[in-house]
Amino acid sequence: MRAKSQWLLAQLCATFLLLGGYLDASAQDEQALAYYRQAKINWRQAEGQSLTIGLNKHPFTESLLPLIPEFRRLTGINVEYLILPENEYFTKLVADLSQQRGEFSVIMTGPMRNWQYVPPDWIIPLDDFLNNPKLTDRDWFKLEDFYPALIAANRWNGKTGGGVGEGPLYSIPVLEESYILAYRKDIFEQYNIKVPATIEEMAEAARLVKKNAGIAGIVARGTPTIGTVATGFISGLKGYTDGKWSELDDKLAANLHDARSVKYTEAWVGMVRESGPPNWANMQWYDAMEAFTAGQGGMIADADFFAANYEDPKKSKVAGKVGYALIPAGPDGSPHSGLWTWALGISKATKNKEAAWLFVQWATAQPTLLNATIGYRNYNPSRASISSDPRVHEVMAAWGGGSYLKTVAKNLETARVAWVPQPERTRLGDIWARALHEVYFQRMPAADALKKASGEVDKVLKEAGIK
Amino acid sequence: MTSTRRRRGRRDRYLPYLLLAPALILLAGMLYPFGLGLYYSFTSYWLQYPNRFRFVWFDNYIDLLGEPLFLRALEFTLGFTLLAVLLQVGLGLAVALFLHARIPGRSAIRALMLMPLMIPPVITALMWKIMMASTNAGILNHLFSFVGVDPINWFGSTQGAIVSVLIIDTWGNLPFVALILLGGLQAIPTEPYEAARVDGAGPIAMLRYVTLPLLSPFIVLAVTFRAMDSLRIFDVIYATTAGGPNDATTNLQIMAYQYSFQWYQMGKGMAQAVVLLLLVVMVSYLLMRLWNRASESTQ
Amino acid sequence: MTSAAKSYQRLVRQVAIALASIALLLWTVFPFLWILLTSLKSPADIISVPPSFVFTPTLDNYSALVVGEQRGQYSSTRPDFPRFFMNSLIVSLGAVALSVAAGIPAACALARFSFPGKNALAFVLLSFRFVPFIAFVIPLYILYQRLGLYNTHAGLILAYQLITLPFTVWMLRSFFMEIPLEIQEAAKIDGCSWLGVLGRVILPLSAPGISVTVILGFMFCWNAFNYPLMLAGRQTFPVTVGAIQFISYEQVLWGQMAAATIVAAVPQLLLSLMVQQYIVRGLTMGAVK
Repeated sequence: MRAKSQWLLAQLCATFLLLGGYLDASAQDEQALAYYRQAKINWRQAEGQSLTIGLNKHPFTESLLPLIPEFRRLTGINVEYLILPENEYFTKLVADLSQQRGEFSVIMTGPMRNWQYVPPDWIIPLDDFLNNPKLTDRDWFKLEDFYPALIAANRWNGKTGGGVGEGPLYSIPVLEESYILAYRKDIFEQYNIKVPATIEEMAEAARLVKKNAGIAGIVARGTPTIGTVATGFISGLKGYTDGKWSELDDKLAANLHDARSVKYTEAWVGMVRESGPPNWANMQWYDAMEAFTAGQGGMIADADFFAANYEDPKKSKVAGKVGYALIPAGPDGSPHSGLWTWALGISKATKNKEAAWLFVQWATAQPTLLNATIGYRNYNPSRASISSDPRVHEVMAAWGGGSYLKTVAKNLETARVAWVPQPERTRLGDIWARALHEVYFQRMPAADALKKASGEVDKVLKEAGIK
Repeated sequence: MTSTRRRRGRRDRYLPYLLLAPALILLAGMLYPFGLGLYYSFTSYWLQYPNRFRFVWFDNYIDLLGEPLFLRALEFTLGFTLLAVLLQVGLGLAVALFLHARIPGRSAIRALMLMPLMIPPVITALMWKIMMASTNAGILNHLFSFVGVDPINWFGSTQGAIVSVLIIDTWGNLPFVALILLGGLQAIPTEPYEAARVDGAGPIAMLRYVTLPLLSPFIVLAVTFRAMDSLRIFDVIYATTAGGPNDATTNLQIMAYQYSFQWYQMGKGMAQAVVLLLLVVMVSYLLMRLWNRASESTQ
Repeated sequence: MTSAAKSYQRLVRQVAIALASIALLLWTVFPFLWILLTSLKSPADIISVPPSFVFTPTLDNYSALVVGEQRGQYSSTRPDFPRFFMNSLIVSLGAVALSVAAGIPAACALARFSFPGKNALAFVLLSFRFVPFIAFVIPLYILYQRLGLYNTHAGLILAYQLITLPFTVWMLRSFFMEIPLEIQEAAKIDGCSWLGVLGRVILPLSAPGISVTVILGFMFCWNAFNYPLMLAGRQTFPVTVGAIQFISYEQVLWGQMAAATIVAAVPQLLLSLMVQQYIVRGLTMGAVK
């Protein structure tokens, strides 16, 4: 008899504990969803629909994945996803978009990618969703919280050759990437090297680092693809020409062989050949970044948020020894860094457009992005409120003894998308990078290599029917 | 009696085709996508300009001839294949002969020999890249420095890149060649060797007059497979040099990939793939004739 | 020759053999060892210069594959890896099984019979293996989407036939041709139909050859990358595509990529160990003769 009542008691306790646990868990869930429920929209209006998201392997996407069950609880929408590294991701994405079968509903894209997707009508503008009070609570979503330059970068009126910043908004930015110079403060101080303000000074600084410290004076991307020219190289060139030069002139003729571009290229390639690592021609972005992080480079002019790696004491040999500065411009130039944002867009072929928009709204809402930055190192934040959040600010303010935040803030004053809008930008960049290889391996002088590249670009644009 | 024999005769005539049927049917389904790819090669088909799709006859192919990169890629494709096959079959033969002999620990070595095959070429390439990578951080150069060898610029120089790709490819595929040749060696009966020994032949003569001729079908088989794969090598190059530096390691498959998957110019990309296919078909046809002759001579 | 000189000669020979063995082993195994070491290193050790042989090992990379938690400051993978592993197993085994099922009759036909068009058919079969994947992949992708084969195991198994079937047919053909005609004639005289000959004589005698073909075919399938990249989605990605997911946008998780490689190599290792006896005994008909 006593055994039986003991057993009953145990069962009751277990039940209460379970219930309590369940309630506690769902209370936690409710807490997590509380902010979202404040939005004055019906999150469940697309209940029961399914979405597939195509994502690039990235801290932001990493941060989303554990939250997807939360999204399902909030909206009742089933989410499937696919993640691949950047190159493979774009291959698969374009294959799908071109067939318009709607395999991917929400995609990760960005300003320059949109130039490829908008002309054939593969993605849809988001303004209608934003302006629809049934789908978006604008007061809650706070579009104005995003840095204006980033929102502008994702707008395009569809005209080849211009129009960035006007027209429909095609994607919502989830991070900001601009290009700055990171240098070894300790080495520069030890050998009295001046922080360069021009490309010539940069070459000199690289030379001095190599001579005195025995490591590569500068590390940079070098593969024969657009990545090599798209970050530090083009930012420096834009600064060198005071923002007045573009790779295509207003008649859309290739202008890579402009005299100023030639001079800059000679200086830059000369610097890399003289003071850069011997395997420059094969360095991917991670090779350059890891070389600097391992203490094997004196300078690197590349993405600002790489600083998160430089300053990570768990794997960086140079944490705390890095200084940050603007990429050297020209004699009378001011910095004109390039800009990139990863952003979420919606494919035209998707059957569940409202569901897709609900996802985008949720994924780019303040708490989601905040979590991405704090928990998963999604830098640099695209929302101003996140940058000023004390937890984020504290981390970023420590980088470079404060020089990081200062440099990035100044950089963003003039940072713009560095390319002329046209669908063949990637091809142009690849051709350009291969011209750099011709110069690096001294197969032809810079003037000839760039002229040849311009000719190739003209040919491609003509074949593509853009000119 | 005669009717059953006649019936069996007719059945035997169709039997081989029946036996081949499942295999052929399985592969026949692939003819449609290939046909589509072939069709695209005669069009101007840019993935992102679908409304500019039009038939252009042989324009893509003619343009190829005028494309300097194409000729370099062709040269590299053929040259690399020649080098790779010579190296891999040559070394493979040496290894097979070595493992065929009664040396201690050969079963262990044979077991370990399979290991490179177990790693996907993409990963092999990435791991070798780490080992070779930066001239200072790469483990290989680090080890070489202990024996006084200067750091080698594995991927940053044009010659270095070609050699590196060759090494990685050989590492991954040597076991395959060695296995095939080892199998062939063990299939050779002992009588010819006895006869040669009676005739007073030394080891080198035996190799030349007994082993190699009897091994020839397997050698040709190994050469065929390696040649076919070397002509189309992709994963290793893509993961390490991406065709560079300065287009030094760009072969036709890499070029076709660039045109199709990076620049979305499907028409041209398919034309390049078809040219590569023609090349492969020609070489394999020649090699197959060789195999027929070799296997007939050993029967 | 004096016995001293002879034993000196033997010593030299033994040393040479030992050196050659070591060289061969080193060449084969060293990269594998390096991957293993990398999989046990923390991120700092991986990119350290000069590269380190001495370090504190960690199992974090392996646990990240299965558990997928975030450890410390660097983001880790999600636990999709077990699923990728299963996909690789299913698709590779399925493809090889299908290839063998279709390949044995085909190889039999090519090895034993002579009929018009034999060489042409053999060549056509072989040529499927050698089509550059570029020519195929996008049209195949389009076709698969329309047929609903995209992102299915069956679709991948069918596509993999391009990789394994021609190879299987040609390898088996070579081994079948090794079997002496006399034995087959003997079986036929005993009253076996061709099917009996196949089952009682050819298959058992070429079992080692079949094993080798199966292993190699399995390995080719396991290592395929470009087809599954385009034809599979997250649910059906094999480990090859899964392994490159360690290339993120702001760092590369080499340690976890190495760990994934090691884990992915295990089935192949097991398979080859199981069939090791056949390889060691020899892919041979020499014993029969």
